[in-house]
Amino acid sequence: MATKQHSPDSPVKHRHRPEGPQRHIVVFVFSIVLTLIAFAAVAAGGVNPTFAVILLLVMAVLQVILQMGFWMHLKDKGHMMPIIFMLGGFFIAGTCIIMSLYWVWWD
Amino acid sequence: MTTAHAEAANGTLPHEPEKATLEGRNKVLAFWLFLGGEAVLFGTLFATFLALRNQTNEGPSANELFHLPLVAAATFLLLVSSLTSVFAIQAMHRGRVTMLRNWLLVTVLLGLCFLVLEIYEFSVYIRHEEFGMTTSAFSSAFYTLVGFHGAHVAFGILWISVLIGQLMHKGLTVVTAPKIYVSAMYWHFIDVVWVFIFTVVYLLGKVG
Amino acid sequence: MAEAAQSLHPSQPLKHGHSVKRHTGLMDWITTVDHKKIAILYLWAGGIFFGIGGLEAILIRIQLIKPMNTFLDAQTFNELITMHGTTMIFLGVMPVIFALMNAVIPLQIGARDVAFPFLNALGFWTFLFGGILLNLSWVMGGAPDAGWTSYTPLSSTGYSPTHGVDFYTIGLQIAGLGTLIGGINFLATIITMRAPGMSFMRMPMFAWTTFITSAIILFAFPAITVGLVLLTFDRILEANFFNVAGGGNPVLWQHIFWIFGHPEVYILILPAFGVISEVIPTFSRKRLFGYSSMVFATILIAFLGFMVWAHHMFTTGLGPVANALFSVSTMLIAVPTGIKIFNWLFTMWGGQVRFTTPNLFAAGFIPTFTMGGVTGVMLASAPADFQFHDTYFVVAHFHYVIVGGLVLGLFAGLHYWWPKMFGRMLSETLGKWTFWTFIIGFHLTFFVQHFLGLMGMQRRVFTYLPNQQFDLLNLVSTIGAMLMGVGMLIFLTNIFLTSRRPADAADDPWEDGRTLEWTIPSPPPEYNFKQTPLVRGLDAFWKEKMAGHKGMTPSEPVGSIHMPSATILPFLMSVGIFIAGLGFMFSRDEFSSSIMSFLFNNYIVTALGLLITFGSMLMRSLFDDPGWHIEPEELEGR
Repeated sequence: MATKQHSPDSPVKHRHRPEGPQRHIVVFVFSIVLTLIAFAAVAAGGVNPTFAVILLLVMAVLQVILQMGFWMHLKDKGHMMPIIFMLGGFFIAGTCIIMSLYWVWWD
Repeated sequence: MTTAHAEAANGTLPHEPEKATLEGRNKVLAFWLFLGGEAVLFGTLFATFLALRNQTNEGPSANELFHLPLVAAATFLLLVSSLTSVFAIQAMHRGRVTMLRNWLLVTVLLGLCFLVLEIYEFSVYIRHEEFGMTTSAFSSAFYTLVGFHGAHVAFGILWISVLIGQLMHKGLTVVTAPKIYVSAMYWHFIDVVWVFIFTVVYLLGKVG
Repeated sequence: MAEAAQSLHPSQPLKHGHSVKRHTGLMDWITTVDHKKIAILYLWAGGIFFGIGGLEAILIRIQLIKPMNTFLDAQTFNELITMHGTTMIFLGVMPVIFALMNAVIPLQIGARDVAFPFLNALGFWTFLFGGILLNLSWVMGGAPDAGWTSYTPLSSTGYSPTHGVDFYTIGLQIAGLGTLIGGINFLATIITMRAPGMSFMRMPMFAWTTFITSAIILFAFPAITVGLVLLTFDRILEANFFNVAGGGNPVLWQHIFWIFGHPEVYILILPAFGVISEVIPTFSRKRLFGYSSMVFATILIAFLGFMVWAHHMFTTGLGPVANALFSVSTMLIAVPTGIKIFNWLFTMWGGQVRFTTPNLFAAGFIPTFTMGGVTGVMLASAPADFQFHDTYFVVAHFHYVIVGGLVLGLFAGLHYWWPKMFGRMLSETLGKWTFWTFIIGFHLTFFVQHFLGLMGMQRRVFTYLPNQQFDLLNLVSTIGAMLMGVGMLIFLTNIFLTSRRPADAADDPWEDGRTLEWTIPSPPPEYNFKQTPLVRGLDAFWKEKMAGHKGMTPSEPVGSIHMPSATILPFLMSVGIFIAGLGFMFSRDEFSSSIMSFLFNNYIVTALGLLITFGSMLMRSLFDDPGWHIEPEELEGR
């Protein structure tokens, strides 16, 4: 396309300062820590299974909320429709999982 | 819109070039909608896996099969690649094309490593553990869920590679920027799915 | 879109007089990205599949005209009922719904096209090739025969050893992809492309139901995608999802199918609700009663639609807790649906009602659909369902909601918007003949089936013994089906005769049009609106009429209009998926010719198909579409 190309790495004047990498690195560290807790709990063994299930799921959900909020910018303004439709998707996915846990096998 | 137009006409891109045009905004929105559908797709696959997770049909069970170090390595690779794709978008927002390209390349490489690891894992299961698609309902569900994710990674690698090529040829424009932004969303989503896979399939499989 | 075009090429002035390659004839139809032409393509393709499904229905009814009939054998009968259901739902009525959405939605919201014209074309072609693949089964070794629900293990290789069910899984997979693409496209279109002033709560009701329908498509179709993948893997790759011997569970298929399948029936009926909500106010010269409650009811129906799937499985043995839960949630749906019924009645009450053909269909819709709804509540009662399950009572119920609801709604919509789509008014006389023959035929066919079901006649069985009091009612039912066929023939005659008349429909041919599509010529020019209109309220056009204005106030000066280029890539992508699907289906077959074996057994055909598809996608990504412009001089000169 004929649109002008940026000369590589030329400093560009911005009215809005783009956000820095710091908060994304913080999210990354949090993700690593949450993942480590999950792996460690399983690797250590001897954890009560019910507690392990709850702990692992909480770690996973926290990590996903962090990543979708910050890395995918869902926390930013103007994301109402994406949030509605992602929640809708997760809701139906959750329905499917309830189905599979309770209504596929029974005595 | 008018400010975006003016800035671009001066040879500079707006702060968020992916949202500078109606086409770009439509693309980002529609991709979010698509990801909503993908959430249901993976939700159904997870549901299938959970329903069949104990149906080992006298084949290997999750506990016997999985090795946590391998999973941890794969997890780390994908997590870092998600971070590098954040850096790529930040570089894009600063208008730094070379840095953008480099971060995209790192992302693709990490994705490739993940994929190699997964193929290695599958081949070990098939060759040494006698755990194939037809072994049990559990094996079918495992390969389908994890394989669907792997196919998504593979498609993402191809996609981002094509975009790197376009970035080099066409430059960063209001046409290429939305494509790159959307591919980054896709990549993050793949990582999000993996968070659930390592939790539900591998870690909970180990717990039993 | 003009605005978008300017910002797409910011660093250079718009290319004025940019020449565009115009295709004609068949190439025009294959390469078009114009939503109005895609609407006509959907209508034609859907109409043809609807005709095939209708013929299958007539054959079924002929077989059942008398006890112990030998017109068809059991296998053919099974194939016919399977293909009748599958064809009608996925390939007959859904495309016609998409035809109406494509024809009307951009016009109703004041847009020049949908958000993604390219995807729009892709959605159509994938649907069409999926449909063709499914119907190829008739000539390639037998059609699927496990019912449209394709329950395992009946649909597993043990009981369906031919390729019939493979055509079902892969054909529906491809067609479903097209539907999903269409759904996302309409969601994005309605969210972002509304004319200035048209807030969500000023949207016409048909736009609202399209929006909600598309959302249901988005959340329901991925589930069947997975279900079909699992069944395909079971059948072709010998996986064990539904294979009890390998640890699988057939109930899982039922769940996944109905988690999709129940929302699917709301995907079908909500657009019909939208059509009725347009037709009734127009011909009552009154605004829709309870607009906001209508919107709320639509959203509630969509939500509840996902929460009721297991009412199809009451007899599976889920237990009293699950059965009670799903019973209650199912009965709840009657509440928002009842709100809608009363809103339509209150709209007509006190209005200056004109019984034109569309309004006749709409008025016929209300009691007919209500009857289907009432039997729905009966079926929702789990204990009673043990009696009704798999009998003709169920058949009567779902034909009342789908034919008596959706198809009457589609007839209303087609007669209503025909002048807008084609520039010609359908004959009112023939239209009324269509209505009366069709609706009388319909009630003859299906009303008696309630009683057949209550007396114990099972569905999906190819014949029955004499002297069980089934004989007369089945005869009546078959006569009714013939009468419905006559109604369809009158409709086709009407279309044929109309197509030979000059295209002289006025902009607002019904004279009481309330929404934006009636402010522009019939049929509209390819850019729809010369100037995007400014919307000042619900029923935007009616509001201007009441204010004494002739047309809409424009929201922009006349300017250059950017249009997307025609392209063959959507067609090629769909051809590629079609080839890949066929290749995968036959990948485990033994062929007499060694070349064929080599090509299919090594997945070479599949790879070739995927190469075409991904190659076309790459082309689309690499070569940007600059589009072309319609200049103000051209706009003024028409």
